[in-house]
Amino acid sequence: MNGDFLALLPKPNFAQLGAASRPEGLEHVQATTVFAFHCKDGVIIAGDHRATAGNIIFSDKTEKILELDSHSLMAIAGVPATAFEMARTLQTSFEFYRRSQLQPMSLKAKIRALSRLLRDNLPATLQGFGIVQPIFAGVEVDDPKSKPVIFFYDPLGAQFEAATYAGSGSGSGSIKSVLHFLERWGNPPPAEMAVDQAVALATRLLMTAAEFDAATGGVHPDRRLFATIKLLTREGTRNIPMEEQERCWKESAA
Amino acid sequence: MTEEPYRWLEAIGNRREYIRDQLKGGTPVFACSRPEGILLVGVGQGMSKVFEIYDRHGFAALGHPVDIEKIRQAAIEAAHIEGFNRSTRDVTLRRLIGFALSTTLKNAFEQIYSPPIIVESIFAELGETQPEDVLVRVHFDGHHKYTTDGVVIAHTDQKMEDEATAWVRKQVKADDPLGRVTNVCLTAWRALMDNKGFDDLSPSDAAFTANGKTVEVALLDRKLAGPVHYRSLDLAKIKG
Repeated sequence: MNGDFLALLPKPNFAQLGAASRPEGLEHVQATTVFAFHCKDGVIIAGDHRATAGNIIFSDKTEKILELDSHSLMAIAGVPATAFEMARTLQTSFEFYRRSQLQPMSLKAKIRALSRLLRDNLPATLQGFGIVQPIFAGVEVDDPKSKPVIFFYDPLGAQFEAATYAGSGSGSGSIKSVLHFLERWGNPPPAEMAVDQAVALATRLLMTAAEFDAATGGVHPDRRLFATIKLLTREGTRNIPMEEQERCWKESAA
Repeated sequence: MTEEPYRWLEAIGNRREYIRDQLKGGTPVFACSRPEGILLVGVGQGMSKVFEIYDRHGFAALGHPVDIEKIRQAAIEAAHIEGFNRSTRDVTLRRLIGFALSTTLKNAFEQIYSPPIIVESIFAELGETQPEDVLVRVHFDGHHKYTTDGVVIAHTDQKMEDEATAWVRKQVKADDPLGRVTNVCLTAWRALMDNKGFDDLSPSDAAFTANGKTVEVALLDRKLAGPVHYRSLDLAKIKG
């Protein structure tokens, strides 16, 4: 009765496998692009819609930005099977804790919960078939002064707070370069942008990433195909619908 | 040897009597299916009586606080494991109560050498539409009854509980706002506590005097976006 949902679940079988069984030639691949950055009103977190299997485009309609609860989000990069399962486990864990303990889980505990799942996934990570490098964005529910934060993780579970932005996946390199440039020399820098401007920037960033990374795609404003973009503020999470993204896109181009 | 079954029957009878005696003084809880969702009302002293169980499920109970907590935790665990292993739509009261809670309650009731679970409770499941709402009255011995006519009350005295349920059902109209429905429940609560009859009773619009007790009102809100439909209501706000 300690509010730990993970304690109710059986241990996954793959955790018993040894690292020595890694097949030859298997590369660590995170073919995707997800990122988060601070804007004036909170945190923008976005991702493309493409899922790949090697050089095959598996799907162009994949949701990679997942709401864990009303005040936290996770952007997934890495092996989808493991990443989606981690998100589902966290969704259930946070709600289970809130309902059983009659209070929301603290932000620090949520950040650690994801770290714990990554650490538990170590055997699959070392074998190369289960690597996940997520981004977490959250805000403390019970503290009215708390501001949204961004955390990124290494595949072994170490957590790092991002002061301004974080990116993950094969297309994130170009996005991080642009965000770094804008933070240093942008006028305004992303952290001072209003939501509309930040949403247009997120769309542009994904289109930039898609230009250089074959595994990033599914965002074409001219064909009314937009990314998944969510906003996290003190009040909670909000999905930015396609119509709003389109309006922001058109206004930024005007 | 031949006396053993009779001793057991006697022990069970004594146990039932003991539990009913322990339940005396407990204050009733209410559930009403409304167009807006399912309204849960309880009046307690310090300890909560109305709880969220899962995305579309609520629980209200009277009895020993530790036993209420046991049942609440068991329901939350069963619902979350089921929702995680299958899907949120597979978490239904029919399965939760039929296969998990009622057997637990019955076993606990019949284990005459262990402490009994002293709880009378209501479970509610929000449907897409009002006719799809499910309300269940669950007794301390695992016996449970599904209700389709929109009102369930849990009280310590079965006869008075039936009278109060019939009265609330008669008083509440289809288009009544939640404030009025809450008023009807609180009027019935007062009548049950004062051991009054329901023949000449009419819903009071006067301010409810809780006499140091706390009124808890919650709604399984049909219109709430997202998976979670349970929210606590502010009594002062809903009564306008």
